[in-house]
Amino acid sequence: MEGYGFLILVSIYALLPFIWMLSTSLKTEAEAFRVPPTWIPIKATLSAYVSMWTKKHFAIYFLNSTIISLATAVLSTFFGALAGYGFSRYIFYGRKFLIGFFLATQMLPGVLLVGPYFKILSKFGLYDTRTGLVIAFLTICLPFSTWMMKGFIDRVPDALDQAALVDGCSRLGVFFRVVLPISAPGMVATIIFAFLLAWGDLLWVICLTSTESMVTVTLGIARTVGEFQIIWPMLMAGALMGGMPAIILYLLLQRLLVQGLTAGAVKE
Amino acid sequence: MKLFKIKDRHTWTFFVLPGTILLVLVLGFPAFQSILYSIYPEGGGSSYTLNNYSILFNDAVFRQVFGNTVFFVILSVVSHLLLGLGVALVLNREIFAKPVFRLIALLPWVVPDVVAGIIWRWMFDPVYGAFNDLLIKIGLISTHVQWLSNPKLALPSVVFVNLWRGFPFVMLILLAGLQSIPRVLYEAAAIDGASRWQLFSRITLPSLKKMLVVALALDIVWEVRRFGLIQAMTQGGPGNITEVLSTYVYKQYFQFFRFEYASAVAVVMTAALLIVSLPYIWMISQEE
Amino acid sequence: MRFFKTSILVVLGLAVLIGFSTSVNAQEKVTLRFSDWHLAEAPWDKTLADAMVLFEQRNPNIKVALEPVSYKDKETKYTVETAAGKGPDIFHLHAFSLPMFFDKGFAKDLTPFIEKEGGAKFLEPWYPLCINMMKYKGKVHAMPGDYMSMVLIYNTELFKEAGLDPKKPPKTWDEFLECNKKLTKPPERWGVAVLGAKDPGFELRFSPFLWSFGGDYLTPDNKKSALDTPDAKEAFKYFIELYTKYKVMPPGVPTMNAQDVRTQVAHRKTAMEIGSGWSAPIINSINPELKAFDVLSAAPLPYKKKKVTTIWLSSWVMNPNTKHPKEAWDLMKFITSKEMELNWFVKDGVTSSRKDVSEEAPEIRNDKFASVIASQLPYGKVVPQIPQWPEIMEAFTTAVQEAFTEMKTPEKALADAHDRINGILARKK
Repeated sequence: MEGYGFLILVSIYALLPFIWMLSTSLKTEAEAFRVPPTWIPIKATLSAYVSMWTKKHFAIYFLNSTIISLATAVLSTFFGALAGYGFSRYIFYGRKFLIGFFLATQMLPGVLLVGPYFKILSKFGLYDTRTGLVIAFLTICLPFSTWMMKGFIDRVPDALDQAALVDGCSRLGVFFRVVLPISAPGMVATIIFAFLLAWGDLLWVICLTSTESMVTVTLGIARTVGEFQIIWPMLMAGALMGGMPAIILYLLLQRLLVQGLTAGAVKE
Repeated sequence: MKLFKIKDRHTWTFFVLPGTILLVLVLGFPAFQSILYSIYPEGGGSSYTLNNYSILFNDAVFRQVFGNTVFFVILSVVSHLLLGLGVALVLNREIFAKPVFRLIALLPWVVPDVVAGIIWRWMFDPVYGAFNDLLIKIGLISTHVQWLSNPKLALPSVVFVNLWRGFPFVMLILLAGLQSIPRVLYEAAAIDGASRWQLFSRITLPSLKKMLVVALALDIVWEVRRFGLIQAMTQGGPGNITEVLSTYVYKQYFQFFRFEYASAVAVVMTAALLIVSLPYIWMISQEE
Repeated sequence: MRFFKTSILVVLGLAVLIGFSTSVNAQEKVTLRFSDWHLAEAPWDKTLADAMVLFEQRNPNIKVALEPVSYKDKETKYTVETAAGKGPDIFHLHAFSLPMFFDKGFAKDLTPFIEKEGGAKFLEPWYPLCINMMKYKGKVHAMPGDYMSMVLIYNTELFKEAGLDPKKPPKTWDEFLECNKKLTKPPERWGVAVLGAKDPGFELRFSPFLWSFGGDYLTPDNKKSALDTPDAKEAFKYFIELYTKYKVMPPGVPTMNAQDVRTQVAHRKTAMEIGSGWSAPIINSINPELKAFDVLSAAPLPYKKKKVTTIWLSSWVMNPNTKHPKEAWDLMKFITSKEMELNWFVKDGVTSSRKDVSEEAPEIRNDKFASVIASQLPYGKVVPQIPQWPEIMEAFTTAVQEAFTEMKTPEKALADAHDRINGILARKK
């Protein structure tokens, strides 16, 4: 099937940097600068990985990133689903405006928001805390999650809601027991994306934290780019390890993503 | 028209308000402050002026940056769409090792865009770069190409990397959407003798419409805001060829300390985005 | 599904719990927040950490909290925090960031502290140029730190291979061009590499060209661009043609940053670069096989009409929002003391803005690189210290890139930059 050829090409495109990242992460610093570059390390070593955990506090970075991103992903998807359901099923005055407002909040460049956010968070004592970061990220991820979930919930036929309501179910019950399970693939996609949005942020983390105990994986990687040197093997090792939680999250949730195949065969 | 029980009429507030309140509280203040800043004169002061905006519209660099941004965003979004849709369509079929391919197609999104910028920049290096090395080994090129310093190649190279990084998003949304199109529809149409193209245009596309709108709207907003990737790869150079609004605003604010002017640029940026996304907002608010 | 509700509550609770559990307890000691990009990089990180331990031993009532920051994001971080009334008590900045920080009120006036220490007499050990750069409206608002001059770093072995005498590096820019022609053997080797990227390091390397040709960026009153003088045009053309016409620079220069340049030297791809005390140690760590300390040498930069070089100066700033000014001043005094400045040289190879270290310390005088660097300090010139400078530099580097990549001729690129810079300066309030 010609689909295979296409997929293989795309896979090479997607995997190429990762192969290079893996290769570099296993090299010594000197070999990383070799010309011409080597794809298979002449002298393979795990020292970059070890250094990230021992010289840099990768364990702390990992913990911070995971907690923050997970909390952001789950909370934003949950509230986003709520709002998405509201936009999907109800007509009310100002609906179009609010939908537009949710999207508009994504449009302000982060550069402008950082300063005021910093002021707000420090006033509430949330500067340099995980909670503060989660709140900041929530406001970025929530509009996104709402739009995503509205799109997915829109595809769940209203008739199902009606049937359940007639059966005596409350609105909330309809939301939790009927709509959400059917839009599970959408929720999975939203959670994963929201997770990655929070995980990959740099600007907010730089400005809203100060101590080593609050550093995230992304910030830790960015710091390997010093004034004078870039420690490539460590950077690559950090980037690869940093991608692991998202991949694990995806692997855990991917069955729900596929579930749509059966759940979608709904009688219309 | 959607029907709802009489009791139900006000429960929309329960669903929609928590999010709205959070957003208004936390984003309203900075947004308002930015707009306020933009009408202060440069260097502070208490009088109001539209001077920043007139500087903006008269600045040749700003116009170039705006043009670059439009160009960059269109190329990025269209390429994301085409590749994402293509991959989603193939992955929707029954294929051997589908989960593996699906995972691979998602991988680029796992790398934060600043990190991706740093890594690709190194891969594009004219002397040390792995990319040139690979292309030479395969025999596609014979001498090292200056991907990022050649003015003709710089922006396409950035778009190339942005495609790599960004298509998984569109792919996953569309895949999730495709997965819930009931198989029976395709089977019935196939029995009726529909061609592949008809299956696609009459069943697939309309079902995907909502998801396409969501994906496009979000992607457009994000690509206009794309910062870390470009800053890490080219800092807007060579010259001003890869300078986009987000890197421009960043420079004005954090490198030149022109807070008021930067706010004006941001306001213009946001306003332009709002105008462009109006059709999408309208489309997604359509009642079925 | 109840699963959802409970899981959300769990996560939320977890987040709040963890968030609050990391709040710092109030202590009787004074805690100073000290931030420096060097804390994130070897070899400085250990040197600074050890020094802080020493400081804490001598000042038992003070605790120093170390806050590394990544090099390119430091201004972002300090701006955001200081503008909001917070920020580290002491932070480290390039001197060229100072005008902007001063202009926005992000640096505390140190005059009262200096007066208490003895006023002008206290400031004597430092080079006058360094102290002047710390002044805002005549008052000292920061203390000078590392002070280096740019010199020519060259590979003596490659010189020998090309038939050049390693003891006679080029003295004039004309000699420089001739040397480079002999050293250039593409695709293995080129003569010299310079930065082309929009990087603060660019002006360090380019300025000596401009100045020693007799030109300058701005008129002496800093009100207009001086890039239309014949000297300036000549210097610019000479610089650009090294790449476009004589091709003595490797491909890719328009986007090279300082690290790329050093990597070229480390791999013997280029024979020369313009660097300073940090060059040899870093090149050595990129490629130990080069034996950089033996093979590389330093020499004063070539000149045309007059000897001049760019100086590199770092500075220590006290946050105007600090709640412990007295303790912060003690820390600042410690860092810039004669004892510590010598320490920074011995451990990290940076020369000092203190005359009594750079000119007198035997460690510096006997060092192959430091002695040259220190000898050039008197010829040091500095770029205009005005808030618009970064924007002006951006316009200038844009012109350089456009000329390097032949998007415009050198003449047109420079003329466009000249107009743009005049536009920027005309905006001054």
